[in-house]
Amino acid sequence: MLTVVLWGMIGAFLIPIYQMTRRGDIWETMLALSSVATKSSLIMLLVAVMRDDWMMGLVGVITLAVGNAGFMLLAHLLRRMAQTGR
Amino acid sequence: MTSETLVLTALLPLSAGLLVLQTNPYRALVVRGILGSVAALVYALLGAADVALTEALVGTLLAVILYAVAVRSSLVVRLGVVTADLEQRGKELQTLMTELRRVLGQQHLLVEWVTYAEPADLAQGLAQQEVHVICTCSEPMGIHTTTPILRLYEILQREWTIPMTVDYQPLVAATGGH
Amino acid sequence: MDIASGVCFGVGLILWWWGTPILLTRRSILFKLHYLSVADTLGSLALMVGLLIRRPQEWSLWLLAVLSLVMWNTVLGYVLAYCAHPPELRRDE
Repeated sequence: MLTVVLWGMIGAFLIPIYQMTRRGDIWETMLALSSVATKSSLIMLLVAVMRDDWMMGLVGVITLAVGNAGFMLLAHLLRRMAQTGR
Repeated sequence: MTSETLVLTALLPLSAGLLVLQTNPYRALVVRGILGSVAALVYALLGAADVALTEALVGTLLAVILYAVAVRSSLVVRLGVVTADLEQRGKELQTLMTELRRVLGQQHLLVEWVTYAEPADLAQGLAQQEVHVICTCSEPMGIHTTTPILRLYEILQREWTIPMTVDYQPLVAATGGH
Repeated sequence: MDIASGVCFGVGLILWWWGTPILLTRRSILFKLHYLSVADTLGSLALMVGLLIRRPQEWSLWLLAVLSLVMWNTVLGYVLAYCAHPPELRRDE
Protein backbone atom coordinates (compact mmCIF):
# COMPACT_ATOMS: atom_id res chain seq x y z
CA MET A 1 0.00 0.00 0.00
CA LEU A 2 2.80 2.41 0.82
CA THR A 3 4.15 1.96 -2.71
CA VAL A 4 0.86 3.20 -4.17
CA VAL A 5 0.92 6.21 -1.84
CA LEU A 6 4.52 6.89 -2.88
CA TRP A 7 3.57 6.85 -6.57
CA GLY A 8 0.73 9.25 -5.84
CA MET A 9 3.13 11.58 -4.05
CA ILE A 10 5.63 11.40 -6.93
CA GLY A 11 2.83 12.34 -9.33
CA ALA A 12 1.92 15.35 -7.24
CA PHE A 13 5.62 16.22 -6.99
CA LEU A 14 5.90 16.40 -10.78
CA ILE A 15 3.27 19.17 -11.06
CA PRO A 16 5.33 22.02 -9.50
CA ILE A 17 8.39 20.78 -11.41
CA TYR A 18 6.42 21.17 -14.63
CA GLN A 19 5.24 24.58 -13.47
CA MET A 20 8.89 25.60 -13.12
CA THR A 21 9.51 24.91 -16.83
CA ARG A 22 6.81 27.32 -17.92
CA ARG A 23 7.45 31.01 -18.51
CA GLY A 24 5.50 33.25 -16.20
CA ASP A 25 5.68 35.53 -13.25
CA ILE A 26 8.63 34.88 -10.95
CA TRP A 27 6.25 34.56 -8.01
CA GLU A 28 4.70 31.50 -9.57
CA THR A 29 8.15 29.95 -9.64
CA MET A 30 8.46 30.88 -5.96
CA LEU A 31 5.18 29.08 -5.25
CA ALA A 32 6.48 26.04 -7.12
CA LEU A 33 9.63 26.23 -5.00
CA SER A 34 7.76 26.21 -1.70
CA SER A 35 5.60 23.34 -2.93
CA VAL A 36 8.63 21.32 -4.05
CA ALA A 37 10.38 21.87 -0.72
CA THR A 38 7.43 20.55 1.32
CA LYS A 39 6.71 17.64 -1.00
CA SER A 40 10.30 16.44 -1.20
CA SER A 41 10.55 16.29 2.61
CA LEU A 42 7.29 14.36 2.81
CA ILE A 43 8.50 11.85 0.19
CA MET A 44 11.69 11.48 2.22
CA LEU A 45 9.68 10.75 5.37
CA LEU A 46 7.46 8.19 3.62
CA VAL A 47 10.45 6.36 2.12
CA ALA A 48 12.05 6.41 5.56
CA VAL A 49 9.05 4.56 6.97
CA MET A 50 8.98 2.15 4.02
CA ARG A 51 12.62 1.22 4.43
CA ASP A 52 12.61 1.50 8.23
CA ASP A 53 15.52 3.94 7.95
CA TRP A 54 15.57 6.24 10.95
CA MET A 55 18.40 8.38 9.62
CA MET A 56 16.57 9.32 6.43
CA GLY A 57 13.54 10.36 8.47
CA LEU A 58 15.77 12.64 10.50
CA VAL A 59 17.08 14.24 7.30
CA GLY A 60 13.52 14.81 6.13
CA VAL A 61 12.53 16.45 9.39
CA ILE A 62 15.59 18.72 9.42
CA THR A 63 14.95 19.71 5.79
CA LEU A 64 11.40 20.56 6.74
CA ALA A 65 12.53 22.57 9.75
CA VAL A 66 15.31 24.69 8.26
CA GLY A 67 14.73 24.64 4.52
CA ASN A 68 12.33 27.53 4.28
CA ALA A 69 14.37 30.29 5.91
CA GLY A 70 16.40 30.98 2.77
CA PHE A 71 13.26 31.25 0.65
CA MET A 72 11.91 34.01 2.87
CA LEU A 73 15.08 36.03 2.40
CA LEU A 74 14.85 35.39 -1.33
CA ALA A 75 11.24 36.56 -1.37
CA HIS A 76 12.16 39.80 0.36
CA LEU A 77 15.03 40.36 -2.06
CA LEU A 78 12.75 39.82 -5.06
CA ARG A 79 10.27 42.26 -3.60
CA ARG A 80 12.95 44.91 -3.19
CA MET A 81 14.03 44.30 -6.78
CA ALA A 82 10.48 44.76 -8.03
CA GLN A 83 10.23 48.02 -6.11
CA THR A 84 13.47 49.61 -7.29
CA GLY A 85 12.83 48.49 -10.86
CA ARG A 86 9.70 50.56 -11.10
CA MET B 1 17.34 0.50 -7.94
CA THR B 2 13.57 0.63 -7.64
CA SER B 3 11.52 2.37 -10.32
CA GLU B 4 10.34 5.22 -8.06
CA THR B 5 13.93 6.04 -7.19
CA LEU B 6 14.70 5.96 -10.91
CA VAL B 7 11.92 8.47 -11.70
CA LEU B 8 13.06 10.86 -8.97
CA THR B 9 16.70 10.53 -9.99
CA ALA B 10 15.75 11.47 -13.57
CA LEU B 11 14.41 14.76 -12.18
CA LEU B 12 17.88 15.80 -11.00
CA PRO B 13 19.53 16.25 -14.47
CA LEU B 14 16.24 17.68 -15.73
CA SER B 15 16.11 20.47 -13.17
CA ALA B 16 19.85 21.07 -13.52
CA GLY B 17 19.40 21.54 -17.27
CA LEU B 18 16.54 23.95 -16.64
CA LEU B 19 18.74 25.91 -14.25
CA VAL B 20 21.43 26.26 -16.91
CA LEU B 21 18.89 27.44 -19.49
CA GLN B 22 17.52 30.30 -17.36
CA THR B 23 18.40 33.77 -18.64
CA ASN B 24 16.92 35.86 -15.83
CA PRO B 25 19.36 35.72 -12.87
CA TYR B 26 16.61 36.04 -10.25
CA ARG B 27 14.58 33.24 -11.74
CA ALA B 28 17.77 31.18 -11.86
CA LEU B 29 18.11 31.71 -8.09
CA VAL B 30 14.63 30.30 -7.51
CA VAL B 31 15.33 27.35 -9.80
CA ARG B 32 18.55 26.78 -7.84
CA GLY B 33 16.40 26.38 -4.73
CA ILE B 34 14.23 23.79 -6.49
CA LEU B 35 17.34 21.97 -7.69
CA GLY B 36 18.63 21.91 -4.10
CA SER B 37 15.40 20.33 -2.86
CA VAL B 38 15.37 17.70 -5.61
CA ALA B 39 19.04 16.92 -5.05
CA ALA B 40 18.55 16.50 -1.30
CA LEU B 41 15.66 14.12 -1.97
CA VAL B 42 17.66 12.05 -4.47
CA TYR B 43 20.70 11.82 -2.19
CA ALA B 44 18.51 10.68 0.70
CA LEU B 45 16.79 8.06 -1.47
CA LEU B 46 20.14 6.72 -2.62
CA GLY B 47 21.17 6.23 0.98
CA ALA B 48 23.51 9.19 1.53
CA ALA B 49 21.81 10.85 4.47
CA ASP B 50 24.79 13.03 5.34
CA VAL B 51 25.15 14.36 1.79
CA ALA B 52 21.42 15.04 1.67
CA LEU B 53 21.58 17.00 4.91
CA THR B 54 24.51 19.05 3.62
CA GLU B 55 22.73 19.74 0.35
CA ALA B 56 19.58 20.80 2.17
CA LEU B 57 21.47 23.21 4.41
CA VAL B 58 24.09 24.53 1.98
CA GLY B 59 22.25 24.19 -1.32
CA THR B 60 18.98 25.78 -0.37
CA LEU B 61 20.13 28.15 2.33
CA LEU B 62 23.72 29.30 1.96
CA ALA B 63 24.11 29.13 -1.83
CA VAL B 64 20.85 30.96 -2.47
CA ILE B 65 21.72 33.73 -0.01
CA LEU B 66 25.28 34.13 -1.30
CA TYR B 67 24.16 34.22 -4.93
CA ALA B 68 21.38 36.63 -4.05
CA VAL B 69 23.88 39.01 -2.48
CA ALA B 70 26.27 38.63 -5.43
CA VAL B 71 23.58 39.24 -8.06
CA ARG B 72 22.09 42.13 -6.15
CA SER B 73 25.39 43.93 -5.70
CA SER B 74 26.90 43.34 -9.14
CA LEU B 75 24.04 43.88 -11.60
CA VAL B 76 23.77 47.63 -10.97
CA VAL B 77 24.51 50.54 -13.27
CA ARG B 78 25.40 53.73 -11.39
CA LEU B 79 24.38 56.98 -13.07
CA GLY B 80 26.29 60.09 -12.00
CA VAL B 81 24.77 63.58 -12.09
CA VAL B 82 25.63 66.97 -10.63
CA THR B 83 23.30 68.12 -7.85
CA ALA B 84 22.64 71.51 -9.47
CA ASP B 85 21.53 69.79 -12.69
CA LEU B 86 19.21 67.54 -10.76
CA GLU B 87 17.54 70.59 -9.24
CA GLN B 88 17.24 72.62 -12.45
CA ARG B 89 16.54 69.87 -15.02
CA GLY B 90 14.94 67.34 -12.70
CA LYS B 91 12.04 66.51 -14.97
CA GLU B 92 14.14 65.74 -18.04
CA LEU B 93 16.56 63.68 -15.97
CA GLN B 94 13.65 61.75 -14.52
CA THR B 95 12.45 60.95 -18.05
CA LEU B 96 15.95 59.81 -18.91
CA MET B 97 16.04 57.64 -15.79
CA THR B 98 12.74 55.99 -16.64
CA GLU B 99 13.97 55.24 -20.13
CA LEU B 100 17.29 53.89 -18.85
CA ARG B 101 15.45 51.64 -16.41
CA ARG B 102 13.26 50.34 -19.20
CA VAL B 103 16.17 49.66 -21.57
CA LEU B 104 18.56 48.20 -19.02
CA GLY B 105 15.77 46.36 -17.21
CA GLN B 106 15.54 44.13 -20.27
CA GLN B 107 19.11 43.06 -19.46
CA HIS B 108 18.13 42.60 -15.76
CA LEU B 109 20.23 45.58 -14.69
CA LEU B 110 19.26 48.10 -12.02
CA VAL B 111 19.99 51.82 -12.38
CA GLU B 112 20.90 53.96 -9.37
CA TRP B 113 21.57 57.67 -8.97
CA VAL B 114 24.91 58.94 -7.67
CA THR B 115 25.03 62.70 -7.09
CA TYR B 116 28.13 64.90 -7.12
CA ALA B 117 28.51 68.47 -5.96
CA GLU B 118 30.72 69.80 -8.78
CA PRO B 119 31.20 68.88 -12.48
CA ALA B 120 34.88 68.22 -11.74
CA ASP B 121 33.92 65.64 -9.12
CA LEU B 122 31.64 64.00 -11.67
CA ALA B 123 34.44 63.72 -14.24
CA GLN B 124 36.75 62.31 -11.62
CA GLY B 125 34.12 59.82 -10.51
CA LEU B 126 33.83 58.56 -14.07
CA ALA B 127 37.60 58.36 -14.44
CA GLN B 128 37.91 56.34 -11.23
CA GLN B 129 35.04 54.06 -12.29
CA GLU B 130 32.83 55.00 -9.37
CA VAL B 131 29.98 55.49 -11.85
CA HIS B 132 29.29 53.74 -15.15
CA VAL B 133 27.30 56.48 -16.89
CA ILE B 134 27.27 60.27 -16.39
CA CYS B 135 24.75 62.87 -17.47
CA THR B 136 25.78 66.46 -18.13
CA CYS B 137 23.48 69.39 -18.91
CA SER B 138 26.01 71.98 -20.10
CA GLU B 139 24.00 73.33 -23.04
CA PRO B 140 20.39 74.47 -22.58
CA MET B 141 18.96 71.94 -25.00
CA GLY B 142 19.24 68.22 -24.38
CA ILE B 143 21.16 66.11 -21.94
CA HIS B 144 24.50 64.61 -22.80
CA THR B 145 25.04 61.02 -21.65
CA THR B 146 28.54 59.58 -21.59
CA THR B 147 29.71 56.09 -20.77
CA PRO B 148 33.18 54.50 -20.90
CA ILE B 149 31.76 50.98 -21.22
CA LEU B 150 31.49 49.84 -24.83
CA ARG B 151 28.88 47.14 -24.21
CA LEU B 152 26.61 49.58 -22.38
CA TYR B 153 27.04 52.07 -25.23
CA GLU B 154 26.02 49.45 -27.78
CA ILE B 155 22.89 48.53 -25.83
CA LEU B 156 21.91 52.18 -25.43
CA GLN B 157 22.56 52.91 -29.12
CA ARG B 158 20.42 50.00 -30.18
CA GLU B 159 17.49 50.56 -27.85
CA TRP B 160 17.36 54.32 -27.42
CA THR B 161 13.97 55.90 -28.30
CA ILE B 162 13.90 59.37 -26.72
CA PRO B 163 15.96 62.10 -28.44
CA MET B 164 19.07 62.41 -26.28
CA THR B 165 22.70 62.00 -27.25
CA VAL B 166 24.76 59.09 -26.03
CA ASP B 167 28.54 59.08 -26.28
CA TYR B 168 31.16 56.42 -25.89
CA GLN B 169 34.31 57.76 -24.30
CA PRO B 170 36.97 55.19 -23.41
CA LEU B 171 38.91 55.78 -20.24
CA VAL B 172 42.29 57.41 -20.74
CA ALA B 173 44.12 54.93 -18.56
CA ALA B 174 42.39 51.73 -19.66
CA THR B 175 42.36 49.38 -16.71
CA GLY B 176 40.16 46.63 -18.10
CA GLY B 177 37.94 44.52 -15.95
CA HIS B 178 34.69 45.30 -17.72
CA MET C 1 -4.40 0.42 12.60
CA ASP C 2 -3.71 -0.15 8.92
CA ILE C 3 -7.12 1.18 7.94
CA ALA C 4 -6.73 4.35 10.00
CA SER C 5 -3.38 5.18 8.47
CA GLY C 6 -4.73 4.30 5.03
CA VAL C 7 -7.57 6.78 5.47
CA CYS C 8 -5.08 9.46 6.54
CA PHE C 9 -2.90 8.76 3.50
CA GLY C 10 -5.96 8.91 1.24
CA VAL C 11 -7.08 12.25 2.65
CA GLY C 12 -3.55 13.66 2.32
CA LEU C 13 -3.15 12.49 -1.27
CA ILE C 14 -6.56 13.83 -2.26
CA LEU C 15 -5.70 17.21 -0.74
CA TRP C 16 -2.36 17.29 -2.57
CA TRP C 17 -3.93 16.37 -5.88
CA TRP C 18 -6.73 18.85 -5.38
CA GLY C 19 -4.55 21.83 -4.51
CA THR C 20 -1.42 21.44 -6.60
CA PRO C 21 -2.95 21.57 -10.15
CA ILE C 22 -4.25 25.04 -9.29
CA LEU C 23 -0.62 26.13 -9.81
CA LEU C 24 -1.09 25.46 -13.51
CA THR C 25 -4.19 27.61 -13.95
CA ARG C 26 -4.13 31.28 -14.92
CA ARG C 27 -5.60 32.73 -11.74
CA SER C 28 -4.18 35.51 -9.57
CA ILE C 29 -1.14 34.77 -7.46
CA LEU C 30 -2.94 35.17 -4.11
CA PHE C 31 -5.66 32.73 -5.16
CA LYS C 32 -3.03 30.16 -6.06
CA LEU C 33 -1.11 30.83 -2.85
CA HIS C 34 -4.22 30.30 -0.74
CA TYR C 35 -5.16 27.00 -2.32
CA LEU C 36 -1.60 25.75 -2.46
CA SER C 37 -0.89 26.52 1.19
CA VAL C 38 -4.15 24.88 2.29
CA ALA C 39 -3.47 21.80 0.19
CA ASP C 40 0.20 21.52 1.12
CA THR C 41 -0.18 22.13 4.84
CA LEU C 42 -3.33 20.09 5.46
CA GLY C 43 -2.35 17.32 3.04
CA SER C 44 1.10 17.00 4.54
CA LEU C 45 -0.43 17.03 8.03
CA ALA C 46 -2.77 14.17 7.10
CA LEU C 47 0.10 12.19 5.56
CA MET C 48 2.21 12.78 8.66
CA VAL C 49 -0.59 11.61 10.96
CA GLY C 50 -0.80 8.47 8.84
CA LEU C 51 2.92 7.91 9.30
CA LEU C 52 2.57 8.58 13.04
CA ILE C 53 -0.13 5.91 13.35
CA ARG C 54 2.12 3.49 11.51
CA ARG C 55 5.25 4.21 13.60
CA PRO C 56 4.10 5.43 17.04
CA GLN C 57 7.43 4.66 18.73
CA GLU C 58 9.10 7.59 16.89
CA TRP C 59 6.45 10.08 17.94
CA SER C 60 8.97 12.77 18.89
CA LEU C 61 10.28 12.93 15.33
CA TRP C 62 6.79 13.24 13.87
CA LEU C 63 5.83 15.85 16.45
CA LEU C 64 8.84 17.97 15.49
CA ALA C 65 8.04 17.52 11.81
CA VAL C 66 4.40 18.50 12.27
CA LEU C 67 5.25 21.56 14.36
CA SER C 68 7.90 22.84 11.97
CA LEU C 69 5.69 22.15 8.95
CA VAL C 70 2.75 24.10 10.36
CA MET C 71 4.89 26.98 11.57
CA TRP C 72 7.08 27.40 8.49
CA ASN C 73 4.33 26.95 5.94
CA THR C 74 2.19 29.57 7.63
CA VAL C 75 5.04 32.03 7.91
CA LEU C 76 6.23 31.39 4.36
CA GLY C 77 2.70 31.79 3.02
CA TYR C 78 2.39 35.10 4.84
CA VAL C 79 5.77 36.33 3.60
CA LEU C 80 5.03 35.32 0.02
CA ALA C 81 1.65 37.02 0.13
CA TYR C 82 3.21 40.17 1.54
CA CYS C 83 5.97 40.22 -1.06
CA ALA C 84 3.94 39.23 -4.11
CA HIS C 85 1.10 41.59 -3.35
CA PRO C 86 0.78 44.25 -6.10
CA PRO C 87 2.27 47.32 -4.39
CA GLU C 88 -0.12 49.85 -5.96
CA LEU C 89 -2.96 48.30 -3.98
CA ARG C 90 -1.12 48.74 -0.72
CA ARG C 91 -1.69 51.91 1.23
CA ASP C 92 1.49 52.20 3.27
CA GLU C 93 3.74 53.00 0.27
